[in-house]
This record gives sequence, C-alpha cells and structure tokens, in this order.
Amino acid sequence: MSQIALLGAVEVGLLFALVALGVYLSFRVLQFPDLTVDGSFPLGAAVSASMIVAGFDPFLSSFVAALAGAAAGLVTAWLNVRLKILHLLASILTMIALYSINLRIMGRPNIALLGENTVFTPLEVLDMPTYVALPIALFGLVVVLKIALDWFLNSEIGLAMRATGENPRMARAQGIHTDRYILGGMALSNALVALAGALFAQSQGAADVTLGVGVIVVGLAAVIGGEAILSPRTVYRATLACVVGSILYRLAVAGALNADALGLKAQDLNLITAVLVALAMVLPGMRMPFKTKKGGVK
Amino acid sequence: MRSLKMRVGRLGAVAMAAAVSLGMAGSALAADVHIAVTQIVEHPALDAVRKGVKDVLAEAGYIEGKNLKWSFESAQGNAATAAQIAKKFAGDAPDVIVAIATPSAQTMVASTKSIPIVFSAVTDPVGAKLVKDPMKPGKNVTGVSDMTPIAAHMALVKRVVPNAKNVGVIFNPGEANSLTLIELIEAEAPKLGMGVVKAAAPRSGDVLAAARSLVGKVDAIYIPTDNTVVSAFEAVVKVGNEAGIPVLAGDTDSVKRGAVAAAGFNYYDVGRQTGEMVVNILKGAKAGDMAVETIAKTELYLNAKAAKAQGVSLPQDLLSEAKDVIR
Amino acid sequence: MIEAQQLAVTFNAGTPMETPAMRGIDLTIPEGEFVTVIGSNGAGKSTFLNALAGELKPDSGHILIDNQDVTNWPTAKRAGLVARVFQDPLGGSCASLSIEENLALAHARGKRRGFGASVSNNLHEEFRTHIARLNLGLENRLGDRMELLSGGQRQAVSLLMSALQPMKILLLDEHTAALDPKTAAFVLELTREIVEERQLTTLMVTHSMRQALDVGHRTVMLHEGRVVLDVKGDERKGLGVEDLLHMFEKVRGSELDDDALLLS
Repeated sequence: MSQIALLGAVEVGLLFALVALGVYLSFRVLQFPDLTVDGSFPLGAAVSASMIVAGFDPFLSSFVAALAGAAAGLVTAWLNVRLKILHLLASILTMIALYSINLRIMGRPNIALLGENTVFTPLEVLDMPTYVALPIALFGLVVVLKIALDWFLNSEIGLAMRATGENPRMARAQGIHTDRYILGGMALSNALVALAGALFAQSQGAADVTLGVGVIVVGLAAVIGGEAILSPRTVYRATLACVVGSILYRLAVAGALNADALGLKAQDLNLITAVLVALAMVLPGMRMPFKTKKGGVK
Repeated sequence: MRSLKMRVGRLGAVAMAAAVSLGMAGSALAADVHIAVTQIVEHPALDAVRKGVKDVLAEAGYIEGKNLKWSFESAQGNAATAAQIAKKFAGDAPDVIVAIATPSAQTMVASTKSIPIVFSAVTDPVGAKLVKDPMKPGKNVTGVSDMTPIAAHMALVKRVVPNAKNVGVIFNPGEANSLTLIELIEAEAPKLGMGVVKAAAPRSGDVLAAARSLVGKVDAIYIPTDNTVVSAFEAVVKVGNEAGIPVLAGDTDSVKRGAVAAAGFNYYDVGRQTGEMVVNILKGAKAGDMAVETIAKTELYLNAKAAKAQGVSLPQDLLSEAKDVIR
Repeated sequence: MIEAQQLAVTFNAGTPMETPAMRGIDLTIPEGEFVTVIGSNGAGKSTFLNALAGELKPDSGHILIDNQDVTNWPTAKRAGLVARVFQDPLGGSCASLSIEENLALAHARGKRRGFGASVSNNLHEEFRTHIARLNLGLENRLGDRMELLSGGQRQAVSLLMSALQPMKILLLDEHTAALDPKTAAFVLELTREIVEERQLTTLMVTHSMRQALDVGHRTVMLHEGRVVLDVKGDERKGLGVEDLLHMFEKVRGSELDDDALLLS
C-alpha cells in the first residue's frame, strides 16, 4: 500500500469517525435505530456546498450544515415521541424526505467544490502535501469532538440521556423527561453526521445527491467493529472504539483495493463489509445491536 | 510429522513458485505502461466507455499482460469508496488515470495535481470544476464531455429543413441540464442562420400547449434531452403532424416515437475518443495542453414515415448516411 | 399527604377483553404512614401503583399530593414527589451503567440536571457512605457495572436509590417477590430501617399476607379494583394470617355486596 493510499484511508476513516460517533449516540446510547443518517450526511454536504458556492465563509457553512443535520434528527425524533411512529420507520420517512430536500437545496444533483474556498484551504500555507495535512487536521478535530462527547456523556444531562436509552421507564421514574432527551440526542447525533458530510464534500471536491447511500452501514460497521476490538466498558472506550473502528474499516478497504494477489476488487466491498459486521457481531462478549425497547414510548 | 519426501516436495514447490513469480516480475518490469481506470458505478454506458479506451490502447500497441498494466476499480456507487480509489491511484502513480463519470473524476482531481487525468462521460466539466478553461485546461486534467453535440444537431435541422428560418425549442425551465442546452442552442443556431423560439413546459401536461404555441412561428421543432418534454413526446409529434412542422430530437429513442431525425452517439465511441487522448499523453502530450473534447462521432437515425407526415422529404445522401431508417 | 379519589380505569374498553382494573379506589395516606397493600391477582394493585406513579392516566378520579392535583402529571414531572422500587430487580437500574452512575441518576431525581459531572468527587464519597450501610462490600465497587450485581444486590441498591432524595411517597411494588427468601428478608429489613429512619410515607404492595401484617402501620386489601379492607392500629394488631384469609375468601365469595366485605 502506498503512503498516499494509507493516509487516504486514515483521512476518510477520520471523516467517518464523526459518522460513527453520531451512530453510536443514536444506536447505542439512545437505542434508536436511525436511518436518518443516510439523508443527513448528504444534507450536510448539500448545505455547506450551496453556501460556499454562494460565497459564504466555509466555517460558517459547515456550522450551518451541522444545524441542518440537527433539524433532521429533531424531525425523526419528533415523529417518534409525539406521533408515536416506530423509530426505525420515523427515520426512514425523514431519510426519504431528505432526498428531495437535498436536491432542492443544491438545485442540481452535483455541486463541485474543487478550487473553492473550503475549511481546508488554510492548510495550503503549510509546507506539506495535502494528503498529509488533511488527515492531521481531521485528527485534531476528531480528538476535540471525541473529548467533548465524552465530557458530555459523563455530565448529568449526558448520563440522563444514557439512562433514557437503556431503561426509559426507570429514567422517567428518576425525573428524566425522556422525550426531551431523545429529541436532543437525535439532534446531536445527526448534527455530527451532517458535519461529517460537509467536511467530506469539502475534502473530496463535491457534494452529490448520492452521497448518502450506505452511510448507516458504514457507521454501524465502524461502531460494531470498534467494539469488537475495544470492548466498550466506559464511555471513553466506547467513543474511542468508534474512531478506531472507522479507521480500521477504511484500512481494510484500502487493503482490499491493494490486494491484487487476492483478486479482491472494490466491487467486493459490500460483501466484505457484511462479513466484517457479521463477524463482529458473532465474536463472544458482544451485545446484541438491537434491543426491543422502543425509544419514547412507555 | 511430515515425511522427508513431503518436505522436499513442498520445498521444491516453493522454489518453483518463487522462480516463476520472479520471472513474471522480470517481464513486468520491462517498459510497462500503467493505466488506471476509476469508474463510479458499473452500468452499460460507462462500461462501454471503458471498453472503448482499452480497445484503442490495444490498437496503439498497448496490450494488457504484455506491456500494459491495466488497473480498474468501480466505486459501486459509493462516494467514500471512490475517494479511497482516488487515493490508491494517486499513490500508485500510473502513467495516465482515466476517470469515468463526474463523481469519480471530481475526487480523482482532488487527490492528485501531477498525474495526468483524462475524464470521460462527464456532461459538464466546467460546472463540475474539473477544468476552468476547456480550450486550454492548463493543469493535469482533460477529457471527453458527453454533453449533447448541439452544433451537430442544429446542422442536422438545417439539412432536414434547408430553408428553416426559425427553430422552436420546448423545454422544462426547472431542469438545470435543459437550461445549459438552451444556451448552447441559442449560440449555435444563429451560426446556421436560424433564430430560436422558446416554449416552456414546466410539467408534462404543458407540453401540448407549448408545442401549439410554436405553430406558425417556426419551421422546425427541436426537442432536447429534457426529461419532462421527452416523456410527453407524443404530444409534440401530434402537433408536428397536424401543422406539418418537422420534429427533431436530441435522443435517438424519440425517432421511433415520431421524430424525423436524431443524431445520437454511443458510449463506446466516447470511450474510443477518450482512448485517443490517453494514447496522445502516453506519446508525450501534456494533458493541460489538450482541449476538452465533445462528442465527435454521431450516428444518424431517421424516420421516413414521420418525414412524410410532417411534410419533409429526406434527401438521398442523408438516407445513405443513416444507421437506421424507419419506413 | 397522599389522596386517591375515586380512581377508575378500564383497559381495552369496548372490546371483548375489557378489564375494569380500578373501579373507584379511595385512599388517603397521611404523612409518615407505612401502608401495605394486598390483594389477589388482578385486584388492581399494580394498576393503582402505576396510577400513583404517573405511568397510567386514570379514566376518572384524582390524585392529590399535599393537596396538589397531580392526576395529569406524567411520571417524569411527578418524580420529585414519588419514588419507586420496581418488582423486577433489573427494572430499577441501568445494567450497563456503574453503581455510582445509577446512584447519581437517583440523586438527581427531582432536581434540574446540568452539564456538570454526573459523579463528582464529593458525590462519590457520599455514595460510598450510603452504600456501605448495606454491608455488601459494594463501597469499593462503585465503578462496577450494575449488571455484575446479583438480583438481591441490585434490589438493595434500588432501595437505596429511592431514598437518596426526599419524596412525598415511596412506592414499593412487590419489591422482594423476585428474590430468594434469604435475600428477600434482607431487603425487607433494609426497607424497614430506611423507612423508619426517615419516617417515609410508604405504600408497599406485597403478595405475602405475613409481610402485609407484620410490616408498617396499616394494611389495605384490594379486590376487583376497589378497596375492600382497611385496617390499622389495634384492630390490625389483633389480626392473624388466618383472619385475613377468611376475609379474602369472604370477599371472593360475595362479589357484589360491598358492605358485607367491610369489617369494622
């Protein structure tokens, strides 16, 4: 594997580490199977790309993209806690709606960002090639966000959110308004994913309506794969597992792309991902991904 | 416990394998050309492009297994995979990278500023920000655009209706692609002495009225590859037949549905065109000096029955050029 | 003071499975009183508790806590006033959270939650002291996940959790029923201690008539969604399990005549 391919895997792995953290929040912490991410990832890309091309500051654009993701998460959560729609279905509804919404926001299926002013443009003054600078910058960002998330989950509000997902009945008995925590948690989760989408578009050169396909699977592969390696006994280990899992997944993809001897091609990736996730679920000591408790409903 | 015989046998096999692979490595090192192809998804049109490239390379003497290392990766529609493929190719440093379709091309251009990239099947290379100036790209990127060859289409209108003063165009103003085509039509038609009359149809239900609005104002109607209007193509044909206005189309399927003529292209030819550019680069040309090409080769489809209904006669030379004529 | 006024609820109304779980329960519990509740299955005990806790909205009737009508308050809103220990030892805590995190959740009951650390050093020490009284050696295991504890240990911790913050009423929903006799006795003793220490207003549902009579100040029997027996003080002291059984059978024998079921 060449150095560029290796660093490229780390780069994409760090971008999707944010997705994994978001998926961890919904799937694991809130126990809310959330397919919204297939829509909120391209939503983040769409919002930031549209704003950048319209001349707005890329940092502001990325922030607004995260807010848009939060709104998407709120919609899904609202459908579940207020209208009592099953969480999985609620998320699918939002995801489907977002396809049209993203097209509207962009005005066309693809907005190119090559050569535009992005959050990564300031890195160009550094005396190192982009394929080195980008992963380093992303690493810094992921570390900061991971620490912030750890701190949050260990706060009173964060602990209440964890209780909401694990035992909503007991949580309510402790005075936790579980509905509010589901709304907040889903907003935070999808904000992270949308931010990842915004950064992905800016680093890879374009926002495209098809960006969202398979994001949830990759997120899950990272979360579950990471857990298989790091057994998430504490919050710190769990979030670390998300980051590690995401990077390892991308390294595995890069490995598959470079394993000419094995005859593996990029086309086999779906199969490889499925095998990875299945293996990780079968390894001993693994929790089952989906408990039957619903979020939001007694 | 392994027997001595087995051990010797295994050792021999390993030695043989080593010798063979070394031998192969030896032949591989001799002046190999490495072409890497990244494709966003596999489907017939894009696969045909790839075949076109490979065939042209073979005809130029670059043959896989002999002196050509051919790497092909499909991203299976996944943008992240396309990004990793781009990184892999950037690291592998092939002689030329062929990027098929816009998303793969964009992420490839983002990943390397030095390796020559030839894109293909990209409809709007400038809009996709792959190149700034298509006439002289200047960097390491050039390629073939599959934008509808409007110039050729307008020329066809003039051949079918030699005295045409005005050509009518029906389109959905909500389709971004159509807006681009309209701009091209308004640029090309006057060069052939034709004025352009536009009729907007935001929904397929509006197409009939839009077509009727052109009666008496135009000598021919041209329907670009606009999803809305093409879906209601029969309405345009109805008006064309009733009012005796020849209808031409941007896509060849419409000829079956009642258009007099269309000049289509096939993606294999686009691939061949791309392959020619790759060969030029292998021979020493710089990608940045090569202008972005548009569709060079078109195939003519004619409908004699429709011609009769719409009041034109197709000249013999046109008929003999045609790939297919419906009678 | 807790008042239940004419609480009534019917499940699956209008269907063949219609069940009037509560048919007008009237009960007033003065502050500091420890009430035990018995009744056969389907008598409405759990339904009554769920109504008091806010998990169930009655079709009619009112619940007043210190003269405040909380009938329409959801569980979370009521949590500052109502503490509860569930029957299922697993139901009262979060398995994957640590002991001290569970305690922290209970510690914040009724209070506004903020962004401060859920388990500060001070809180950690406070929890150590609390949990040491259980004599289970858990004070050195506060960081252990709840799922590592046995059912009895979890229930003891749940009890402790319920008493961490002041409440107007403590609801105990057959909280020893799922435990083995020895552990059940331990938890029951713990219950008595804690309730007595702080003079907690308590409502304990139990299946054991022995328990119902031995523990607390007052015993209430529910049957078919109504209060059919309410004894305290001397009258109660004199009752034995057999007497209660008699009453039970009498109640089952004549379901329609309410007056005959009440004993003076």
